Amino acid sequence: MPERPGGSLAKRPLQFIWIVDCSGSMQGRKIESLNLAIRESIKPMQDVADENPNAEIFIRVVKFSDGAQWHISEPTEVHAFKWSDLDAGGMTDMGKALTMLADAMKVETMPQRGLPPVLVLISDGQPTDDFKGGLKTLMAQPWGLKAVRISVAIGEDADLDVLQEFIGNPEIKPLVASNVQDLVKKIKWASTVPLKAASNPASRPQGATNGGSNVQIPAPPADAKPTSPADVF
Amino acid sequence: MNELLSPNQVVKSGTGQPCKVIKFLGSGGQGEVYKVDWGGSEFALKWYYQQNATPEQREMLQRLVSEGKPNDKFLWPEDLAFADQVPGFGYIMRLRPPEYKSLNDLVAGKIQPTYIALIVAALELVKAFRSLHIKGLAYRDISFGNAFFNPATGDVLICDNDNVATNRTTKPCGVLGTPDFMAPEIVRGEVQPTNKTDLHSLSVLLFYIFCFGHPLMGRKVSNIRCWDTPARTRIFGTEPVFIFDPGDRSNEALDKQRDPTGEAGGWALVYWQLYPKFLRDTFTKSFTVGLRDPDRRVTELEWLNTLAALRDAVFKCVCGSPNFYDPEVAKTPGAHPALCWHCKKAVKHPFRIRIGKALVMLNADSMLYPHHMADARDYDFSTPVAQVTRHPTDPNIWGLKNLSGAKWVVTLPNGKLKDVEPGRSVPLAENTRIAFGRADGEIRY
Repeated sequence: MPERPGGSLAKRPLQFIWIVDCSGSMQGRKIESLNLAIRESIKPMQDVADENPNAEIFIRVVKFSDGAQWHISEPTEVHAFKWSDLDAGGMTDMGKALTMLADAMKVETMPQRGLPPVLVLISDGQPTDDFKGGLKTLMAQPWGLKAVRISVAIGEDADLDVLQEFIGNPEIKPLVASNVQDLVKKIKWASTVPLKAASNPASRPQGATNGGSNVQIPAPPADAKPTSPADVF
Repeated sequence: MNELLSPNQVVKSGTGQPCKVIKFLGSGGQGEVYKVDWGGSEFALKWYYQQNATPEQREMLQRLVSEGKPNDKFLWPEDLAFADQVPGFGYIMRLRPPEYKSLNDLVAGKIQPTYIALIVAALELVKAFRSLHIKGLAYRDISFGNAFFNPATGDVLICDNDNVATNRTTKPCGVLGTPDFMAPEIVRGEVQPTNKTDLHSLSVLLFYIFCFGHPLMGRKVSNIRCWDTPARTRIFGTEPVFIFDPGDRSNEALDKQRDPTGEAGGWALVYWQLYPKFLRDTFTKSFTVGLRDPDRRVTELEWLNTLAALRDAVFKCVCGSPNFYDPEVAKTPGAHPALCWHCKKAVKHPFRIRIGKALVMLNADSMLYPHHMADARDYDFSTPVAQVTRHPTDPNIWGLKNLSGAKWVVTLPNGKLKDVEPGRSVPLAENTRIAFGRADGEIRY
């Protein structure tokens, strides 16, 4: 006989979207490393979903080079999500990617009720199209405005000003990956910590203002620094 | 960006003993947790991220280590830990055994404990936080994530005790709590966490355990598209209304027809009707007057009395599903008990015994404890003094067996007196009176 009437907490959908730079400069080790990094981030993302009785996580991917297109267009539940490798080549049409994203963030295409979407922009260069116009279109959508926006800069040529503008919150800085190993770490952080914060906020530290943002994002841990000359750095 | 420490790395405890890292277990908002070998036994070590390894945190931990745990339900800091090569510090605590599950798993429907196990877990949680508050401390971050329980027994373990501090301390508090569990006055930014805000968080936790929903998430939530910090601030801080507030239906629980997602209290509505009025009244007090006035919140002692009475009120329907006896219905002329929630048939109450203020259902597996026998109740249900038993030869006859060390004097329904020595039983029959020594009971049907 059943002990209790059953039941479980209602879940709200959370839309998570990677926006990935696939321009020519990403060719070679960068794009290979990125493919691995995202592949390795899926299990930790599934763990975030498992630990959270309130959220159901759906993933999509936008890629941009010469123009922009959906790499994975169907919002896919995180446990069913499968990464397929990206290739690189072409320009850096970041603005077009954000315009496409704006379409996906329209009230009529989004679920009636949801958690703040999480948008993670990954780029190694300068936009070659109208980035500001794309961002403006995205921010004109209520869900675009409500989205947690995170960016990851790959290498020294990435335009940090553009990536900062995408985030739109002075207290959150773009994560800078200085080498391919670092990229794996940064992508893993960007894929899981903001996801957790947007879906199931943990203990709130005293005095945190978060730049007036609608979601409390914990600061990324500081990069490891050597404490003695004998340390491997 | 994880793994501040590596396997086989040796850190030192505050008392100078070596503590060897075995493996990484997980990371949280403030740091990482490792399994370690400390003095030949396995323990857990939490190591703080650099930005969280503050002098205030270290001082707080030092104080908690010297203070000692309030009771054995806490995975309390046993000692601090330091390393020569790694900045910051950590603390050592007992490991959580694998049979203890997160309350997250309960509300996600992944584990199905019995009602008695759930009530025991609730009682244990309240007792644990009471023992902490009695010591002059405040926990300050009661939530799903910080309490674990054994679904087989209801035994609990409370972790993340590093935010515990002296109640009403004026020092910076580190945390404000977990958003869904914060008292409204914290959400509004008016106060820091105290033992009074702990009481609100505790009531929210109990509501989740018994009603599978948040007490403040009703109709108002169904009108909110994006569930983020501003939305939480409105629902939990500036416009909080209980979903079963008898005087304000603006945030009432919506059934599955009106809100198919169930988010606006759909499950709470199903569970709410199962419970006796005394439990519903305690929740109503918590989330109406207690919501607005921290000095009128339901105290731990009120919760203990309510939960102990709930434990006593459980009875099995003939279909086998547990239901609750409601004394209020029994004494209201013309009122009928609710149908069994499972088989939807009229319930048949078992024998029950009235001992002082307690009314205990005598199910096939019921026991009585010293708690039932004394004026000074201890809410301890570990060593029984009486047990319902079946007659060895006639399965239709039920009795109450004396498990105590002293004889009972029984007045049978016909008025005759009879001694019931330890190990012997008295048949269950209406109007039988039992002098247990410390209290008198009367069997009813």
